[in-house]
Amino acid sequence: MRKGSEHMKIERENTMAQGHDTAAELEVREGVDRETVETVQNMGAYKYGWETEIEMEFAPMGVNEDIVRLISEKNGEPQWMTDWRLAAFARWKEMEEPRWAMLNYPEIDYQSQYYYAKPKSMAEKPKSLEEVDPKLLATYEKLGIPLKEQMILAGVEGAENAPAEGRKVAVDAVFDSVSVGTTFKEELKKAGVIFCSISEAIREHPDLVRKYLGSVVPQSDNFFATLNSAVFSDGSFVYIPPNTRCPMELSTYFRINAENTGQFERTLIIADKGSYVSYLEGCTAPKRDTAQLHAAVVEIVILEDAEVKYSTVQNWFPGDEEGKGGIYNFVTKRADCRGDRAKVMWTQVETGSAITWKYPSCILRGEASQGEFYSIAIANNMQQADTGTKMIHLGKNSRSRIVSKGISAGRAQNTYRGLVTMHPKAKNSRNYTQCDSLLIGDRCGAHTVPYIEVKNNSSRVEHEATTSKVDDDQLFYCRSRGMDEEEAVALVVNGFCREVLQALPMEFAMEAQSLVAISLEGSVG
Amino acid sequence: MLEIKNLHVELEEEGKPILKGVNLTVEAGKVHAIMGPNGSGKSTLSYVLSGRDGYAVTEGSATLDGEELLEMEPEERAAAGLFLAFQYPVEIPGVGNMTFLRTAVNAQRKARGEEELSAGEFLKVVREKAKTLKIDAEMLKRPVNVGFSGGEKKRNEILQMAMLEPRMCILDETDSGLDVDAMKLVAEGVNALRDPGRAFLVITHYQRLLDHIKPDVVHIMADGRIVKTGGPELALEVERNGYADILAEIA
Amino acid sequence: MTAPMTRDARRADTTEARLAAIDLPTGGFTAPARAEALARLGTMGLPARRDEYWRWTDPAKLNAEQPEAGAAFRVDRPIFEGRDKLRLVFEDGVFDAAASDDPVLAGVEIARLSEADRADIHWAKAQYGALEASGQTPVARPFAALNTAAATEGVLIRVTGKAARPLHISYRQSEKTSDVILHHVVRIEEGAELTLLETGTPGARSNVVMEVDVARGARFHHIRPQGRATDRVMVTHLFARVAEDATFKSFTLTTNGKFTRNEAVIEVAGDGATAHIAGAALGDGEDGPFHHDDTVFIDHGAVGCESRQVFKKVLKHGATGVFQGKILVRPGAQKTDGYQISQSLLLDDDSQFLAKPELEIYADDVKCSHGSTTGAIDETALFYLRSRGVPEADAKALLILSFLADAIAEIEDEDLAGDVVARLEDWLARRRG
Ligand SMILES: Nc1ncnc2c1ncn2[C@@H]1O[C@H](COP(=O)(O)OP(=O)(O)O)[C@@H](O)[C@H]1O
Ligand SMILES: [Mg+2]
Repeated sequence: MRKGSEHMKIERENTMAQGHDTAAELEVREGVDRETVETVQNMGAYKYGWETEIEMEFAPMGVNEDIVRLISEKNGEPQWMTDWRLAAFARWKEMEEPRWAMLNYPEIDYQSQYYYAKPKSMAEKPKSLEEVDPKLLATYEKLGIPLKEQMILAGVEGAENAPAEGRKVAVDAVFDSVSVGTTFKEELKKAGVIFCSISEAIREHPDLVRKYLGSVVPQSDNFFATLNSAVFSDGSFVYIPPNTRCPMELSTYFRINAENTGQFERTLIIADKGSYVSYLEGCTAPKRDTAQLHAAVVEIVILEDAEVKYSTVQNWFPGDEEGKGGIYNFVTKRADCRGDRAKVMWTQVETGSAITWKYPSCILRGEASQGEFYSIAIANNMQQADTGTKMIHLGKNSRSRIVSKGISAGRAQNTYRGLVTMHPKAKNSRNYTQCDSLLIGDRCGAHTVPYIEVKNNSSRVEHEATTSKVDDDQLFYCRSRGMDEEEAVALVVNGFCREVLQALPMEFAMEAQSLVAISLEGSVG
Repeated sequence: MLEIKNLHVELEEEGKPILKGVNLTVEAGKVHAIMGPNGSGKSTLSYVLSGRDGYAVTEGSATLDGEELLEMEPEERAAAGLFLAFQYPVEIPGVGNMTFLRTAVNAQRKARGEEELSAGEFLKVVREKAKTLKIDAEMLKRPVNVGFSGGEKKRNEILQMAMLEPRMCILDETDSGLDVDAMKLVAEGVNALRDPGRAFLVITHYQRLLDHIKPDVVHIMADGRIVKTGGPELALEVERNGYADILAEIA
Repeated sequence: MTAPMTRDARRADTTEARLAAIDLPTGGFTAPARAEALARLGTMGLPARRDEYWRWTDPAKLNAEQPEAGAAFRVDRPIFEGRDKLRLVFEDGVFDAAASDDPVLAGVEIARLSEADRADIHWAKAQYGALEASGQTPVARPFAALNTAAATEGVLIRVTGKAARPLHISYRQSEKTSDVILHHVVRIEEGAELTLLETGTPGARSNVVMEVDVARGARFHHIRPQGRATDRVMVTHLFARVAEDATFKSFTLTTNGKFTRNEAVIEVAGDGATAHIAGAALGDGEDGPFHHDDTVFIDHGAVGCESRQVFKKVLKHGATGVFQGKILVRPGAQKTDGYQISQSLLLDDDSQFLAKPELEIYADDVKCSHGSTTGAIDETALFYLRSRGVPEADAKALLILSFLADAIAEIEDEDLAGDVVARLEDWLARRRG
């Protein structure tokens, strides 16, 4: 941590020189508020591990052409969509599960999963939120995602950017295989924004879906994406018309509830010329002894001068301390900056899942297009994460920036894997990558596997990576101010992640900050 | 010595005009100062004179002793006797400060048909000059400007100037970021080089430096032009009232 | 699934064909090691382009049964000429006694593989092929196994004291199609010291393995300016084990060569050991194709060790540079200080640099970092130099040299470093303008 620790030291010296009281000093120092510390003290481990008892309708276990047809039929899809799925399924049968990632997990039996699970009460799709099963509404309430068209009040700290009455966030809630409901639809409609479940979009906006679905992540892109193409049950669809700034943040909240059920959602976001949208994604699941499969695909199309911010707080159940249960998370996310000056920013906080396999990528096709990737990946106990990004520079003057912060604790393995390619035509482009790993304890692993391909000389690529443990001096400083070791670690880790936390929308940043602390429970001592 | 006539310059890539007809004559033995608000084009002028890429001269000329500067390569301008002390001296990791100086001195000597300095002679001269600028031996060993403080970088620029003995010296904000003592050192370095055959163009924001290096002529630059020229009193006026009055007066 | 089957079958075919074209020596004391290596090779097979480990370097030229005919290359301008050293000369893989010095050096035992291998007993028996074998995990290095099985010549060096002067292995190539397989074994006993110079082009196609065992407190210093034949094809493997408080340093200079793959596998095995490996490669496609690949694996298995990888490339006119470097820190290898830097200077738009700088770390109390940068010459620095009167070509040369400086700094001996710099300046001077 050559650079990092220097930086920290300088900051510390400054704050010491100022001679404020201890608490204030700490706030100044790492930008971590007292709340983090309190969260660490108050929270138990995984807090979303409860289950909703609700009657479900399942498709028969396993996957085959009939299941694919059934999913398509349940969603009321047109024939072209059914055919598209079947074509994907045919390809999938020929494919092998990739094993190049630094992930070690038992063989997945794709036939002992349910591919479709839907609350019985959703048999008839509710026409408005008022008609949604109260049990489901309560579920989301408990998760802190009220499915009401209300203002989400910004937290106390750093609320200066938010309007006094709070901010609006439209939510699409996906429960196991289906979308439960979407808020603020009418208001968004007035702005010309389409925000609905993908199943609804396939029915209501077939032209848009047909034009863009599979255009960023092709049907047979990789093993998991191909499986998703065949069996995805729901997900979100967003279309922002030209020159429109989406009037509120959009978000999808994924909840896996049913046992032995895979979740395969598909998200498609289209930002037309000159538009802007910020999109948030959250996910949780109950604690269970058996592993569950999640294989999602997110496609983002960004046209000229448009900008998309996509933020994820991934908090699937990570399994217990012994590595039992947890979500196997195999996700394909890709943004295609098709137009000139198109811009995408991926921010992810990956704290959950037993297995994470995820590389949100940017295709920088347009001239002067920009891609950014900010990531915090925390792996504790027996978690394994192999995550990173790809920046494919095709257009002139394109820019990309990667900031990855990996934290390993317990017996976890955490790998950053990335690709930066400068094609011959991507003249005068830039990439900067900073990739830092922090190890807590001597039984975990932190790995960095970047691929760099530079094929023209007017471009510049810079990659830096460091690996180190939590700085003893920093820990001592915190503890000499009265924090116990766990608090001190949480504080220092939050400081380590700061650059990424700052890239998140405010509400998310606060959630993420406390999550960082919670996910490191039991990592010291 | 230096004669700039109706110089128009724009940014090569964006085509944005920066200098919009600069006229300026600096005579041998004289010190001229240029002051002016940020962004008025002072650094651009110094870069164009020394031949940095990225600027397109659309009109006008600049000559040094009658020779057209704008046609020359940067190193030819240096050999012709032009020197720019950079506003932001460049760091060159891996190149020792000494190696850098010796390469530069000998390259210029060669270009002028003079004999190269032997290692021994060179060392002697450098040590002497470094000492007067309070540059220690350790700094000479380090790579060019790497890890130097702001003040050290500026002193290093003056050391280069002293070694290269140019006839036309341009100093771009050499005083900014310096404390009083460092500024005195720099000013002394400059004054030691004052000579009837040598001229200076000093770009600065502050009267402070001009207290030590007494200018003969002061120019005010605004929006790519020299808008007012006067004696040392003009600098004092700027110090007292800022640029607003002068700009209003000419508007 | 059928596809992988055919891939494996093709691999087996390539391997078999390659072996069939070689006259495999039976060997004396090396016989068991050769047999094991052959078995290893049979299991792993020769590499294929789609292997992850060969993603940027096509092994076809090495897999081919016969080397491509290149130009004969007799005269390589000598380097280290003025230095006091003991020289052993090999021309197209064959020892040239007339051109060599008497192999007598106090504190050093020197033998040739072809001679020593007639006997069944030799100190090198325990070491021949041993580090190569342990270097086959986690990734296979088939050409090294092939080398152990098929090497016809090499130098066996055992150092028991502080060698009075450097040992110089000097290669020459004079035949257009020489296919040379050399295997050197070096053992530096406790507290002993050796500087080994390895220069020139062994053959039109060469496969060179060097196994170096550096015992406790010993020092090994290796400087390798590779031959400048533009047509040569070359794969080298440097296997080293560095014991407690021992030091291993290796520097390679590559100018020209149509195909070079330099692999290094260094086991940092004893507490307090130091391992540095550096390379400077300069390629100008105008002299002929240039593909240069540095593939390095540093394996930290002890406490308080330091490793450095410093690799610099200057590429022009369609030259390709590859760097695959990995630092592995095993569980328990605390207080490891591992550093790796790979940088490329692309002098024009045709050239390319492909890099995979990896860290794999299983201990927490470590300081490991890597950096990689690629780009053109820094225009600002160039202008700064020119504004001080340095002509453009000289300024570029100076900046290129300064870019390479960190790698050259890994040569401890100042005179030898001076010779390397002189060679670089010479290379640059011939490419002015
Ligand atoms: N390379 C450049 N790219 C973009 N803008 C530039 C560049 N160089 C100068 N400018 C612009 O030109 C104007 C003059 O800048 P400069 O010469 O640095 O002013 P001064 O030195 O008087 O503060 C400013 O508006 C500045 O932003
Ligand atoms: Mg300026």
